[in-house]
Amino acid sequence: MAELTRSQSFFIRHEFGIRRLHSLLGIVPLGLYMCIHLVTNASLMGGAAPFQHAVFWIHSLGPALPILEWGGIFLPLLFHAIIGVWIIRTGKSNTSQYSFTSNKRYKWQRWTGLIAFVFLMFHVLHLHGWFHITPWLAVMQPLGFAQFYPYNAASSLAAAMDQWIWGFWPAFYLVGVMATVYHLANGLWTAGITWGLWTSATAMQRATKVCTVFGVLLGMVALTAWWAAVSMGPADIAAAREKEQEMYDAAVATGLAFDDPHKRAGNDHAEPLSEVDVEAVIIEETIVVEPDSQ
Amino acid sequence: MTAPETSIKNRPQFINVRVLRQDEPGAKSYWELHKIKYEREMNVISVLQRIAAQATTVDGKKVTPVAWDCGCLEEVCGSCTMVINGRVRQSCSALVDRLLADNPDEIVLEPMTKFPVVRDLMVDRARLFRSLKRIQGWVPVDSYYNLGPGERIPREDQERNYPLSQCMSCGCCLDACPQYQKIELTQNEGESDEEFEQRQNAEFDEAFIGAAAISQAMLFNNHPTGKALAAERLEALSGPGGITTCGNAQNCVAVCPKEIPLTRSIARTGRATTLHAIKKWFER
Ligand code: SF4
Ligand code: SF4
Ligand code: FES
Repeated sequence: MAELTRSQSFFIRHEFGIRRLHSLLGIVPLGLYMCIHLVTNASLMGGAAPFQHAVFWIHSLGPALPILEWGGIFLPLLFHAIIGVWIIRTGKSNTSQYSFTSNKRYKWQRWTGLIAFVFLMFHVLHLHGWFHITPWLAVMQPLGFAQFYPYNAASSLAAAMDQWIWGFWPAFYLVGVMATVYHLANGLWTAGITWGLWTSATAMQRATKVCTVFGVLLGMVALTAWWAAVSMGPADIAAAREKEQEMYDAAVATGLAFDDPHKRAGNDHAEPLSEVDVEAVIIEETIVVEPDSQ
Repeated sequence: MTAPETSIKNRPQFINVRVLRQDEPGAKSYWELHKIKYEREMNVISVLQRIAAQATTVDGKKVTPVAWDCGCLEEVCGSCTMVINGRVRQSCSALVDRLLADNPDEIVLEPMTKFPVVRDLMVDRARLFRSLKRIQGWVPVDSYYNLGPGERIPREDQERNYPLSQCMSCGCCLDACPQYQKIELTQNEGESDEEFEQRQNAEFDEAFIGAAAISQAMLFNNHPTGKALAAERLEALSGPGGITTCGNAQNCVAVCPKEIPLTRSIARTGRATTLHAIKKWFER
């Protein structure tokens, strides 16, 4: 064998721990977070208000939120994805020769994992933006990324879905979210084998049924969330924006929301500007304000 | 095993057999088409005997006899394993009438895909045996002194162990596994046999151990004397190329000719290594 680099040998020495961590992180926090996320988004089906309420509640964490986002979601996600890509590279699918169902599931688990990786990287960039640093946002927002404004949750989400070529983001999200749902449901099943939760063939079959039901239910929640976001027209967006404004005023009064212009659509320049920011912000303004004027 | 279907109406006169040949280790493989007279109730071994006897291809070219391996002729030694019509199995129990019922045109014979070819259909499965050493797949008894009568084995354990004990190290489970990749090394110039073997073993020991050895570890960990080495086996299975390399494609259990519940052994190993790791952590 060729000389191992230090990181390779570290990986080999700790393979067991690393792969168990990979398996665990896929369920907690990632899988759990995904369920909460999709249910929250599905609440948009009930109108802008319940959704906005949920988002206020999440964002009431204030400065602790980025810590939770990075420690509880982004870093575990990156770890899971990078180790996942490494795992994929250790295998060589042979479904054309052995077309058993479980072998196809093995293949799909890998494909949906890759799709989910690409999807989530862009999803976070598209709506969240990854980093909430002014110069970064000043570049990303005009490009059509970092489009979600928590204090205008429904309207900014719906407007973001409508950007670029018509139908691009909705199609992207539909494929991405469905692949992710499969990956989680099937991943629960394989995790049960990995950790030794279900061992006999009958137990595995039963677990398959449970995971299928889970996957179908979560898939329906995901579809609901997706439809709620992509089906809003300009009139709905304008109405939502009004409702959000009302709720914002009330939320600030009760201390649920902070006076943070960064979290409000078309409003993030109220704070004093540093000289460097001025030019970038002007570009930004012309684009971000647009959905407002409709 | 049930008697083969003999109800095929139009028995063919001849059988076409396509063989993937290879003259020596590392050489390029090539296809050769042979044609033999149909006889009733043949198996692939008897087909190979006819092919070797005539040693002539379909277009009349004289060739060296096709080489293959076999031993027991009753599916208990595993040495005759090869890929028949795209699926890995034993050639002694592959009945020609059944194969023709699935594909009347020809029978396709290839060597196993995950082991180095020695010649034609013969492969070197040293890695499989090395994997049994990795997990110490035996009961540790030396006959230096009398250990007294063995522990009684509860019926439940007997029933769980018997199926696992039927493994014949044929390697089907490894050949069909998407996580088990072929390792084929060549001896360097000036490298002694011992050095080469050492290098090869080092490579084997970090690569995926495969379902057969995982299952054997569960067999011996569940044996009253064998379990003396239980922790060491779990340690080996927690190492590089151990249980975590399995990707749960479950091809192994689908192709195992002995119908050994391999995925059960894999999940039991998952459970046992989990507990082993936790225990180790707290004993540090
Ligand atoms: S477990 Fe089955 S397929 Fe694997 S080597 Fe043993 S008998 Fe062959
Ligand atoms: S279950 Fe594991 S050992 Fe069996 S074929 Fe799949 S990856 Fe290989
Ligand atoms: S010759 Fe022994 S298994 Fe076929």
